[in-house]
Formats: sequence, structure tokens, C-alpha cells
Amino acid sequence: MASNTLKEELKKHIIEQLNLEEVRVEDIEDDAPLFGEGGVGLDSIDALELIVLLEKYYQLNVTNPEEGKQVFYSIETMADYIEKHKS
Amino acid sequence: MKEKATYCRMNPHGVFVNGRQKVSFNEIAVEDALTEMYRNLALEYPKFYKMDLLSKVAFLGVELLKTVDPSLVSTQNDDQIGLLFANSEGSTHTDMRFQESYLVDLLPSPSLFVYTLPNIALGEIAIRNKWHGAHMFAVFPNFVPVYYADHGKIMLEEGAKVVIGGWLDVREKLDALFFVMDEGLVNNRENILHFVSKCYSN
Repeated sequence: MASNTLKEELKKHIIEQLNLEEVRVEDIEDDAPLFGEGGVGLDSIDALELIVLLEKYYQLNVTNPEEGKQVFYSIETMADYIEKHKS
Repeated sequence: MKEKATYCRMNPHGVFVNGRQKVSFNEIAVEDALTEMYRNLALEYPKFYKMDLLSKVAFLGVELLKTVDPSLVSTQNDDQIGLLFANSEGSTHTDMRFQESYLVDLLPSPSLFVYTLPNIALGEIAIRNKWHGAHMFAVFPNFVPVYYADHGKIMLEEGAKVVIGGWLDVREKLDALFFVMDEGLVNNRENILHFVSKCYSN
């Protein structure tokens, strides 16, 4: 499981990069879905920004759409992917 | 027929609605002042923060018109409100920020890219208000009252009951105007030209 430090860092990057002005780090649960109902409520443009964010801060490139659906499901899945792939 | 239609003017000094100052921009960056205005209006529309400057100005201009006279829009059907906007710079302010994202950051920003057309500002207004009427965004070297008189009349003849006109330059200095036209106003061409010119010069 990815570290809490990484997850918190990821939340801060997401809030800043996606202009989620009224969202605080503590408002985002690690396992809450990032897209769709009942979660953070990101949209399709946010999805593209997350791809840019992974590349900008972690030098990781997600190009497979099916893989992307799993990676970007939640903060937890994003952090796990980063931990697994960082050199 | 309304004797005095509603208008909202934004310039480097602040925001004025029907000639009365609502917000002063003295010593505050325009974008910060607009964010403060959004919060003071208690609109609860978080998408505002994701908009580019052009869309934020357009969004707030229309929201201010609605707060002054809610009946202007609440009494119309969703397809009876036209949006007729123009400026002299297109979406240049955002175009340049997008260019910087790929030239300097080497990562083109999707959230900036979607605003690299000025008519997206009209899309943001339409989404917010669920309006499905006609809309148009033109680019001219200067403010052109005849554009609003002529195209406003066409929109009103084609089914609109109200047309919201807008002029919004944001790149070098804030220069924005929003005003409401109805059938009674545009049927007299001299009146509409006089009204629009007067609103702009205020």
C-alpha cells in the first residue's frame, strides 16, 4: 500500500492542478472514486489533467485507456501505481 | 416594454451595475477581485474556479444582470434567451497561457486548451443557466454598437424574447459590458444604438 505522505502529496497536486479551490486535502478520502457520483466529482477534462499531472510530477505516462480507468479510480489506486512504477 | 434596461460595466476601476458601483478594483488584482465577487454573490458553482478569465468575466456579468432583475430571465423559456457577444481579442489571453504551458512547461494543459475559443464563454453561461437559445461571439477591432442593433434584432425576430449583449476584453485591461435587449428596445434602431453606446461610455 502506498504511503500516506505520497497520498497527501497527490491530493495537494490534484487540488492545485485541477483548480479545486473549495476542496481541502482532508475532504478527499483515499478510496473515494475520483469520477462519477459519490466521489470527488471530476470530469473528462480533469481526467486529461491527471494524465498530465502523473507525467509532470512522477514522470509516468499512462497511455492505455483501460489501464487509465484503473489507475485513476481513486487516490489509493493512483498512489499504488506511482509506488509500483517509480524507479 | 422596459424604459430602462439593465446593464453591467466592468473596467479597471471596478464593477458597475446600472451605473452604480458594486465592486472597486483599487489595489486589487482583477482576477482576485472577480473571485472575491463570486464568493460574495454566494453562487455555489465550483466550476467557476476552472474557467479562464474571459469565461469568469462573462459568467459574472450575466449573474449580476440576473441579480438586478431576476424576471429578465426567469420569465423566458430556455430557448428564448439569446447571447450576442463580441470582443477585440478573441481568446488571446488564454491562448497565450496555453502556449506557455507547452513551450515553457513542455506539457500542454487540457484545461486551458478547452478555453482557446472565445465562444466557450457563451457555453459556460448556457450550461450554468440551461439556456438553449441562439448565441454568437464575434471579434472586431473596436466596440461596434451596430452589431448589437442588427444581430440583436435578428435574434429577436427568430424567436428570442430577450438578448443579452456583451463586450469583453480582458487581456491588456478589463473592458466589459453586459446589457439586456428586448423587442421594444431594438425596434427603434436609434434608441438601441444610443442605449448601447451610452452603456459602453459609462
